[in-house]
Amino acid sequence: MDNFFTARGVSKRYGATVALRDVVMDIHAGEVHAILGENGAGKSTLVKILSGVVQPNEGQMTLEGRNHGPSSIADARRMGVSTAFQELSLIPHMTVAENILLPKVSLRGFWPDPKKDIVARAAAVLRDWDVTDISPDSLIEDLPLAQRQRIEITRALSHAKRLLVLDEPTAALPDTSWLFQQIRRLTGQGVAVMYISHRLSEVREICQRATVLRNGATIRTVDLAGVDDAGIFSMMVGRDPSEAGADMGSASLGDTLLQTRSLRVGAIRDLDLDLRAGEIVGVAALEGQGQQDLFKALGGVIPRRSGQILVGGQEAQLGSPAAAQKAGPGIAFVPEERKTDGIFENLTAATNIVMAQFAATRGERFVNGQIERGLAGPSAQRVALAPRYLDFEVGNLSGGNQQKVILARALMSGAKILILFDPARGVDVGTKQSIYAMMRQFVASGGTIMFYSSELSELVHLSSRCLVLYGGQIAAEVARSDLDEERLLSAAHGHRAAVHAAPDTLKEVS
Amino acid sequence: MVDASEPFAAPGRRRGLSLRYMADSAFLIIVIYIVMAIVYVVVQPSALSAYSIEALFNNSLPLMLAAAGATFVILQGGFDLSVAGTISLVNVTIAVTPLDGAGGALTLVGLSLAIGVTVGAINGFIVAFLKIQAIAATLATMIIGQGLALVILKAPGGSVSDFIVYELTGSVLDRLPIALVIALCMIAFWTLFSRLDAGRNLLAVGQDRKAASLSGIDVARTEFFAFVWAGAFYGLAGYMLAAQTSTGNPSAGEPFLLLTFAAVALGGTAFGGGRGGVTASVFGAATLMLMQKVLFSMGVSSFYTGVIQGIIMILAVLFSTAVQHAAKTRGAE
Repeated sequence: MDNFFTARGVSKRYGATVALRDVVMDIHAGEVHAILGENGAGKSTLVKILSGVVQPNEGQMTLEGRNHGPSSIADARRMGVSTAFQELSLIPHMTVAENILLPKVSLRGFWPDPKKDIVARAAAVLRDWDVTDISPDSLIEDLPLAQRQRIEITRALSHAKRLLVLDEPTAALPDTSWLFQQIRRLTGQGVAVMYISHRLSEVREICQRATVLRNGATIRTVDLAGVDDAGIFSMMVGRDPSEAGADMGSASLGDTLLQTRSLRVGAIRDLDLDLRAGEIVGVAALEGQGQQDLFKALGGVIPRRSGQILVGGQEAQLGSPAAAQKAGPGIAFVPEERKTDGIFENLTAATNIVMAQFAATRGERFVNGQIERGLAGPSAQRVALAPRYLDFEVGNLSGGNQQKVILARALMSGAKILILFDPARGVDVGTKQSIYAMMRQFVASGGTIMFYSSELSELVHLSSRCLVLYGGQIAAEVARSDLDEERLLSAAHGHRAAVHAAPDTLKEVS
Repeated sequence: MVDASEPFAAPGRRRGLSLRYMADSAFLIIVIYIVMAIVYVVVQPSALSAYSIEALFNNSLPLMLAAAGATFVILQGGFDLSVAGTISLVNVTIAVTPLDGAGGALTLVGLSLAIGVTVGAINGFIVAFLKIQAIAATLATMIIGQGLALVILKAPGGSVSDFIVYELTGSVLDRLPIALVIALCMIAFWTLFSRLDAGRNLLAVGQDRKAASLSGIDVARTEFFAFVWAGAFYGLAGYMLAAQTSTGNPSAGEPFLLLTFAAVALGGTAFGGGRGGVTASVFGAATLMLMQKVLFSMGVSSFYTGVIQGIIMILAVLFSTAVQHAAKTRGAE
C-alpha cells in the first residue's frame, strides 16, 4: 500500500521564523520511518503538525487517501494518529492509570467510575503492551524518568490505529528492546511509525527509510541500507562533520575543587568523592541508583542527611543553588528536566543566560535588552549558540538550543565546578559536539566537571575517569585507559569484578 | 530496572501513603475545624443550643458557597475576582423582585443561578477563548457587577420574601439546619464531581497546562466551565446572603472578595492550581467564620480579631505546606 501517509508542501511559520518550509514526504503502511535532522531542523514542528498541536500555514497531508489536518490532539487521535512527546505530557500528581486513560478516564458521564475499574482498564492497557513493572495506581511523580517515558509511549501505542509518532522515545530509556518489540508488533498490523531519534544506531536497527530535514526543508528521503553514517551526517549538517579530536588524559590535574566525605543523601550512602581541576568525571548508573540525589545535593537543590561537602577545601553548606554558586570556586548545576527545573520559557534566551550573573552579584543594576545580549554573548559563543537566537523566547527554541541556553547560563555564573545531569540528552549530533567541546575547554581552563549520562558511549568518549554508582555507593571507578561500554555496564549491574557482560544481561536494563 | 528500583520504591510508597492522603484531602482543615469547634464549645457553653448552631451555619453558608465557587477557578490555575460583583448583583436582584412562597423562592434560585452562570460564562469566554488575563477580565466583570447592583438598588433596602428569610434559614427535622444540609450537599457534589472526567481535567489543567493539552484534554473548554461553575456558586452565595440578611445591599459582596480567597487558602488549595478541592474550601470558610465567633466569645477586642485571624491563617497554611512537603519527600525516596 503506497502513499499511506503523504505530506506535500507543508510549511509553518512562527512570526518571522520559518520552522518548516515546503516539506514533502511519504510513509508507507507498516513502515518505520525516521526523521533525521539537527536541532532546529523542524522535526518538533513536524511532530506538532501531525498530531494536531499546531496547524500548518500551507500544504496538505493525507492519511490513507483522506485529507489529514487535525485541529487538536483529540482530533488526531480520532484519525488514528497518536504521539509520544519528547517533553513528556504526563500529569505528575495523578496515577499512572489516569494518565494512561486521559482525557477519557471515566466511561460514565455523570457518576464516578469505581477506582478499581479505572485501574483495571489501565492495567489491561499496560499488560497489552508488555509493561509489567509499573503499578497502575502509583503516582507519576514517584516514578523515575525512564518509567515515565514508557508510560508516555504506552499511551501513544494504545491510540495508534494508523500512525504512531515517536519523538525521541529513547531519550530516557536505557534499553530499546521493549520499545522495538512493541513497534514491530504495531507495524505487523499495518500501522506506520514516524521515528525521531538522534541515535543513529537505533534508527538503523528499527527504521527502513529516513527523511532528512535541514533548516525546515526536506533534503532527501533515503533507504537507510544504502547510505553510511557519514553520508547521513553530511546531509543533516550540509557539510562533513569534523569530529572533534579527543585528546584527553594529557591534561594535567590541578587542585581538588570539590570533595565529599561520608555523604548521605536520598539513596546515596557514605559516598567519598574528589573532583580535581582539569578532569571530567563521568557517572554511570542504571535508573534509581541515587544519581539524582547526588547531583541535586551537590547542586544545592536538596539538603544532605549527613556527611561533609568541601568546596575548594572549605566545608560548605550548599543550602540552595545560589549558595552552591557562591561557595568557594562555585558550583553550577544543570538539572535533568530542563522543561520544569531549568528554564523560563517566556523570557528571551539572553535573559535566561544572564540570570545567573544577576543571581551571583547583588542586583541593583540597570538592565535592558542590549546589556543582556552583550553579557550573554560570550557564554553563548562558548556553547556555540547562534547569536540570532539570543532575542528569541526560550520556549520557541528547539530542545537542543534550550539545552545550550542552560549550559551557557551555568558558564555565566563563573563557577569552576560544573555538575551536569545528562547534558546531551535528546539533542542532535551537532549540538552534542558543541557541548562536548565546551566541556573539554572548560576543564582545560582549570575547571572540573562531573556529569551523568544515560549513554554509555558518551561516558566513554568524554570521561577522564568514570564512577559507577550502584545501590547508592560507588561500585567501581574506571580509569580512562580502561574505559569501555561493557565494563561500565557490567559494573552498573553490580558485578564487582568488571567482567565482560554477557549479551543477556543487556536485556535486563529496561 | 526491575532489580534496582524496587527496593527504593516499595517502602517509600507505603510510608508516604497516609501523609499523602492528609496532604491531598481536606483532612487537615477538618482537623483544624474540629479543634476550633471544641475550643468554641469550651469558651461558650451555649454554643450547642439549637439556635446558635443554626446561626453559626447560616452566617457561614454564603462564604462557603463563594469559596466553593472560587475553588473551581483556582484549581485550574486561574483567578476570579468577580465574586464580589456577582454576589452584590444577585443580592439586590433578590431584594427588588417580590416573589413570595415556595414557588417564588425557587424561581429566585433559578434567577440567581442564571445571573451567576452568565457572569461566569462571560469571564470564561474572555479568559479561555479571548486569552485575556484572568485578573484583568474578572476585575472588569466585578466592577460591572457592582455597578449594575447600584443601578438596580441605590442604597441598602428592598425586601426579601418571608419564605426565603425564615424557611431557608431554619432547620429540618428539628435540629438539622438547612444551611448545614446545603453545605453537605456541596461536599457531596464535589466528591462526585472530582471523580468525573470534568473534575479530573480541572486538576490536570491546574497541574500542567501544556501536558494536559498534549494528553488530549480540551484546556480552553475546561477553563471556560470552571468559571461557569464558579459563577453558579457565587449566584447561590448571593441568594443565601439575601436570605440571611433579609435585605438588599449593593455593596453586600465587597467583604467577600478577600474572605473568599482567605477561605480557599486556609483550606489548603494551591493558588497555582492542581491541588485542593471544594470540600477543603468549604471547611476553610467554616473555620474562618468559627474563628470569628471564638475570638468574640473569648472577649477579644474586635480591633485584634483581624490580627489574630491573620496569624492563625498563616500558621494553618504553614502546617499544611509542611505536611505536603513531608508527603512529597517521603514519597520520592
